[in-house]
Amino acid sequence: MQVIDLESLSIEADIPRFLGQFAGVLILIGGFQALGFLIQSGRPHLTRDGLLTMAMQSEQSFLGSTMLIAGLAAVATWDNIFPDRRDVMLLGALPIRPRTILAAKLASAGSLLGIGVLALNFEMGAVLPLVTGGIRHLLLVFVAYWFTAAAASVFIYGAVLTIQGVTAALLPRRWFLRLSAMLQLAAFALFLSAWALQPSFDTMEELAKAQRLGILARWPTFWFFGLFSETSDIFPIASGALARLACLALAAVVAGAGLSLLLCYVRTMKKTVEQPDLEPTRGRQRWLLPLGDPLQTAIVRFSMRSLARSRQHRVVYAFFLAIAFAIAVSTLTRVATSHHTEPVTSAFLMGTLMMMCLAVAGLRSIFSLPVSLKANWVLQVTQLSAPEHYIAATRRAMLVLATIPVWLTAAGLALCYRPWNQTLEHLLILALAGSIMTDAALFGVSKIPFACSYLPGKSNVQYIFWAFAAGFTPLAMSFSRYEQRVLDDPLSYVALVAILVAAAAELWFFNRRRAKSAVLYYEEVDPEAITTLGIGAWHPTSREASIDAR
Amino acid sequence: MLELRRVSKVFAGIPAVDDVSFSAQPGEVTGYLGPNGSGKSTTMKMITGLLELTAGQILFDGQPIQEDLIAYKRRMGYVPEEPYLYNHLSGVEYLIMVAQLRGLPARQSTERIEGLLHLLSLHGDRHASISGYSKGMRQKILIAAALLHDPDMVLLDEPFSGLNVGSALVLRQLIKELAARGKVVLFSSHELDTVERVSSRVVILHKGKIVADDSIERLRSLMDLPSLEAIFSQLAVEQDPLSTARQIADLIHA
Repeated sequence: MQVIDLESLSIEADIPRFLGQFAGVLILIGGFQALGFLIQSGRPHLTRDGLLTMAMQSEQSFLGSTMLIAGLAAVATWDNIFPDRRDVMLLGALPIRPRTILAAKLASAGSLLGIGVLALNFEMGAVLPLVTGGIRHLLLVFVAYWFTAAAASVFIYGAVLTIQGVTAALLPRRWFLRLSAMLQLAAFALFLSAWALQPSFDTMEELAKAQRLGILARWPTFWFFGLFSETSDIFPIASGALARLACLALAAVVAGAGLSLLLCYVRTMKKTVEQPDLEPTRGRQRWLLPLGDPLQTAIVRFSMRSLARSRQHRVVYAFFLAIAFAIAVSTLTRVATSHHTEPVTSAFLMGTLMMMCLAVAGLRSIFSLPVSLKANWVLQVTQLSAPEHYIAATRRAMLVLATIPVWLTAAGLALCYRPWNQTLEHLLILALAGSIMTDAALFGVSKIPFACSYLPGKSNVQYIFWAFAAGFTPLAMSFSRYEQRVLDDPLSYVALVAILVAAAAELWFFNRRRAKSAVLYYEEVDPEAITTLGIGAWHPTSREASIDAR
Repeated sequence: MLELRRVSKVFAGIPAVDDVSFSAQPGEVTGYLGPNGSGKSTTMKMITGLLELTAGQILFDGQPIQEDLIAYKRRMGYVPEEPYLYNHLSGVEYLIMVAQLRGLPARQSTERIEGLLHLLSLHGDRHASISGYSKGMRQKILIAAALLHDPDMVLLDEPFSGLNVGSALVLRQLIKELAARGKVVLFSSHELDTVERVSSRVVILHKGKIVADDSIERLRSLMDLPSLEAIFSQLAVEQDPLSTARQIADLIHA
């Protein structure tokens, strides 16, 4: 029974292995945090208030992460709780009741969600009640902890189901399928952004102040924090209102999800079968901007369409873009709350550099994921130009899909900053940095985007992300501080621009020179683990062969 | 003229195509027949340049194709056996992409694409995603893509697969018309009736080796058999169809 949205995973998705790795990572993260909490709680002069403050911080963190896991599980199982055309056509002909299909899908989805929540909270769910509740209230805090974790994850998952189900019931299936793809991305970006941007409070006083100001009521994480506080009775804060919000929200989404599933299995299954395979389309040939010569236009448009229409690629790219989106939103939020233009700060400079790097690195990683290996024959049969032209087209695709949109976004954000000359100076530096990042990302690349097989793990999405987090972030921090000083000094600015122009030009020329002797490839070659010389290959002599025959 | 000289292809020590030599002349339709697994598609892929030869040579107009593969590909149109297409594109987007990859002028490609879509009864569904196309519709897209650039040689691997009767009739006439206009046409098919009606010559492959290479009339006369089906059965079919059918029916009834 398919529950995971296989299109979101690699084309050779191994579900049990994926689940195992997923759970393993969560157990590790949860374990480290729980161990840290346990060690800290054992400090000799720690007061009860200090312990509760630590518990509050941990609970906030774990609730936020639990809701993120639930959100990611909802994204991973997108549309798969509801029967698709294949389910209906294959299972509909068998003597299986729709409620059996529903129960099986819910059980599978619940298992995935349960594995994620359990793996993350396994250690802290034992340590926190033990440390804060003591022997007397251990059971109470334990039940409160797990009840809250379950409620928070059900809330997120149920909210997603409700939105999907209502949309599926109201819209014609074709429109729903189109909207569904966008909703999936939006949900992914929303969950990641919310997790990155949600406030955290270090002391009870800060928490109480935020509650008085109504800040906590805006964040679902804190509704369920309030629920935990009310049920466990360990935090000295008035959290009744937040707990009520959590209960109301939970009841609403459970009802909504239940109604959605009912509508789906009663109405939508029929609609799915009745929808024609192909609906007549009205002419919608749009005039499309040429993006270079015909070859470049073909490759760039192919890349755009592959990115826009392949769920797998969108979801992976959305992971990178969501963080960039969070940076952009935090910038806008700061400006919006201050109600006036901001001076150019190193935070703004760094933020835009990180957005650029995220977009380029993310796109480069998904360029390696093929969209349809078997259909690549047409690219080989029509390869009528030298490989350097295809490589140049790949670079253009990177510019069109990552570098230029991010630069334009940064230019839009720059409207909120003054003085003008500094923002324009930064935009020039950002453009040059974008060119350098683009050419660096495509260094040694001799393939058409989305048209090369890849070895499992070779796209290294996770390593690219962690390399960015660990390597580029401090670099961007240092560079942005230096850039901020340079923006006030014309001579230093000109020198910096000259260096960047030289670096950008050199990288570009280097890649072009390399491309002249490159060979376009469509299959990744397995790197040889052992190099053999091929000497001494054994052939049986006739005597040995006759012995073997006997 | 297309010429194969002692072409072989070996996969992991097993010869899929073994010392195959034949030629296909312009103005002629050459049928390439063989049972499943005989090496037909492998031969086709070698001719298109998708697969490298283990041994032998492929020449087009007297020149080895490897000497200038790009120039050769410009003159070749290919319809593969399986209709693998980019499902996320629409029919017209796919054809426009192929036209751009081949460097066709925009106006010429637009006219040809519109015309081909109309003539192949795909115009109404041209903006729909290929993922929703039937097998026959995908086959028509492949045929259109192969002919867009007016190739000198057309290679068709099981082109009738999935086509309805009307479309199959059109394709049959199209193959004859292409040959009549001086193109080299090589096509493989399991539909012996169609091959017999359309082809001037047939090449029959069995277990990677050529077992017949002549005109259909000469083969009939040499082997004293009335039809291509009978010739094919004698040369390339190992099972007794009647006996096999009875055994299957007995097995499921038991």
